[in-house]
Amino acid sequence: MKKIMICCTFLSLLFCVGLFGKEEIDDLAMVMAVGVDKAENGEIWVTAQVVRPADARGDAGVGGTEGDPIWTATGEGKTIFEAIRNLARFSSRRIYWGHNAIIVISEEVARDGIVDVIDFFTRNNELRMRTWIVVTEKKANEVVAVKTGLEVIPGRSLDRLFRYSPIVAEAPRTDVMSLSASYIGEHVHPYLAMVRLRSRGVDPENPKEFGSIPQIELSGIAVFRDDQMVGRLNPRESRGFLWFVEDVGNAIIPLSCPDEEGPVSVELRDNRFQLTPNYKNGKVSFIATVETVTDLVELGCPTELEHSEVMEDLESDVAAYIKKDIEVMLEKVQKEFKVDAIKLGRAFQAKYPQYWNDLKDDWDEIFPEIEVKVNVKVELNNPQLLENPTRKGKD
Amino acid sequence: MKSQISNAMLLAIIINIVYAKAIGVTQGIIARQAGGDMWIVTIFSTLFGLLIMSLTVLIIKRTPEKNILEQTKLLVGKWGEKLIALLMFTFFLGAYGGIMITVVYHLMDYFLPEVPTYIFVALVTIVGVYGIMKGVEVIARLAVLGVFSIIVLNILLLLGSLDYFEIESFLPVLRNGFFNAVEVTKHHNADWAMATLMVAIILPMVKQKEKWMKYSTKALILGGGFILMWPILEVGVLSPEVAGQYIVACMQMARSAEIGLFVHRYELIMVIFFAISALIQVMMCLLCASISAKHIIGGNNLNFLLIPVAVILGVFGYWVVNDHIRAMDLLTYYWPRVAMPITFAVPIIVFLLGFIFKKKLTKGNLDAPS
Repeated sequence: MKKIMICCTFLSLLFCVGLFGKEEIDDLAMVMAVGVDKAENGEIWVTAQVVRPADARGDAGVGGTEGDPIWTATGEGKTIFEAIRNLARFSSRRIYWGHNAIIVISEEVARDGIVDVIDFFTRNNELRMRTWIVVTEKKANEVVAVKTGLEVIPGRSLDRLFRYSPIVAEAPRTDVMSLSASYIGEHVHPYLAMVRLRSRGVDPENPKEFGSIPQIELSGIAVFRDDQMVGRLNPRESRGFLWFVEDVGNAIIPLSCPDEEGPVSVELRDNRFQLTPNYKNGKVSFIATVETVTDLVELGCPTELEHSEVMEDLESDVAAYIKKDIEVMLEKVQKEFKVDAIKLGRAFQAKYPQYWNDLKDDWDEIFPEIEVKVNVKVELNNPQLLENPTRKGKD
Repeated sequence: MKSQISNAMLLAIIINIVYAKAIGVTQGIIARQAGGDMWIVTIFSTLFGLLIMSLTVLIIKRTPEKNILEQTKLLVGKWGEKLIALLMFTFFLGAYGGIMITVVYHLMDYFLPEVPTYIFVALVTIVGVYGIMKGVEVIARLAVLGVFSIIVLNILLLLGSLDYFEIESFLPVLRNGFFNAVEVTKHHNADWAMATLMVAIILPMVKQKEKWMKYSTKALILGGGFILMWPILEVGVLSPEVAGQYIVACMQMARSAEIGLFVHRYELIMVIFFAISALIQVMMCLLCASISAKHIIGGNNLNFLLIPVAVILGVFGYWVVNDHIRAMDLLTYYWPRVAMPITFAVPIIVFLLGFIFKKKLTKGNLDAPS
């Protein structure tokens, strides 16, 4: 027995001849954001935002040597993999995807089809499945190269933009996993958040030039048929869309004062959404029910009404506003895009599996004609800190 | 073997021998064939496992000092014993291929793609042989540690995935039909068969025979529960389509889990905590194959057979995993056809033989050396 054990021990030593596949951290070029564009000659153009560790130390980048915390470079190729490999022609380190926070696809690429993007980034074992993936209406390389947000590394800023996006509720939190699931899934179609560059940052050295520094902001939803983008929803339509696909966060509803001029803001707090399919006489219909508890967060008119009266009046305005969000979205998705990205088919299949087999092959034709009735119930009962509306105390 | 382990250790071994393969590779295959019903398939299969396990314990209880092969010898002579031993060796040889798929693809595809396949197979097999040489008690103690690892892994994965859980993905229930769900259980049944056939061999080594049934049943229920969490999360978080897209579905699940900003990418956590279960699978498979080989050859010394059996299983395992397409084809289409008849036939045949040749199980015969 002992002899065999000694043999086993020595046999194991034979395999300890070095560390196979080892990667030293200072040999890696850590990609924080990547952009996918199409070059004029039709080739894929991949732009990688790579962190420069020596210049990106600490929360504020303090302690690093003088220099940019990121290095952005592009590679071109017939395929995504070739384009990335071509980055290695001039990158002094091996490109490493493990810390990539976001993939930005240009609208041009999205309209041509993104099956190669889905395949490459789900097949790659380095990439996280919770990497955000978005579409931008112009060039993705511009978005990837821009310095945006508070973080030292712009890729981190983009990551956090999506982590806290529910507070604006104007774009979905789409990641590689959700894209893959909706592309592979039967009778659902993908959608991705859209971002754009807007001059929103203020230059502290020249504050007169208000909003002169481009920043990345959420700008709606790109809707796909299979892997090809068919259209986009604006932020308001996107909010209507979000009710169907994910939790709507603390969105703000801008309204007008009930009896006089002035702005009012209502914040959604506790939201519930229910989609009820119906099937009668061979006709499919849905009832979408929204129930929301909201807070009054701004009342910009010195009204003589009591809070309770104002809020009672506002409840119906909020309900109408939310209903309008959903209806304009449905009009666009059903009549213009004709793509079931809002998962009505899935909801119908869940409730009526016995009828689904008869309808599923014709679902694309049925979907645009489906009647969706929207019911919104709003409860507005929290004026926050104030007992009375803000009004002047003088006669 | 005269080693004695407790019933709690047996429970731990049963849970470990099924867990590692059942949560990932098996669930991927089930997802491809049963879609959103994969969690129901897992429940059905656990019930089948419970049934076969109870039958196996009943069989061994008839001759508590003898394993199923020795009992067969008692009932129908040495050629019957050799036939059953050959069937069981074939089963554990095939099972070793499945285990190698689990171990190698977890490590190679997700961490070390540049390392040659034979390194994984050889190292795992050598560790397996080393474990057997240390004895069943040591393996059993390791298995107890493995159960704690499994619990930790399940809790971590649950915490990292619940945010993305969608209950709608479970509807409609039994979307591909009841009979399809029952048919697809064959893949998970083959996992439970590793436990039942192993119990058929090692149960005489377990103390307190009056508790055998209680603990083996408990092991099935607990192990089934630990495994069931995975298809439930794979349906609710990944979606059945995505789970079915990958060879190792559980690693995809781990790759998608995260807690806040700083704890993400569970692949390493996953491998750390499921490694013990994978090693227990390797060790017990090697041990049971060696015992089966001993009964085929008719020798007395198990130690001389360990290395040759490890080489046979290792070479077969390497041949299986060296080609991903071949590996998955074998596991998906051919392995159930081999495993299912053995899984059900061996205990049922021996049970019926016990009925027919009841007289041979008399006290005098039982006391005779096997």
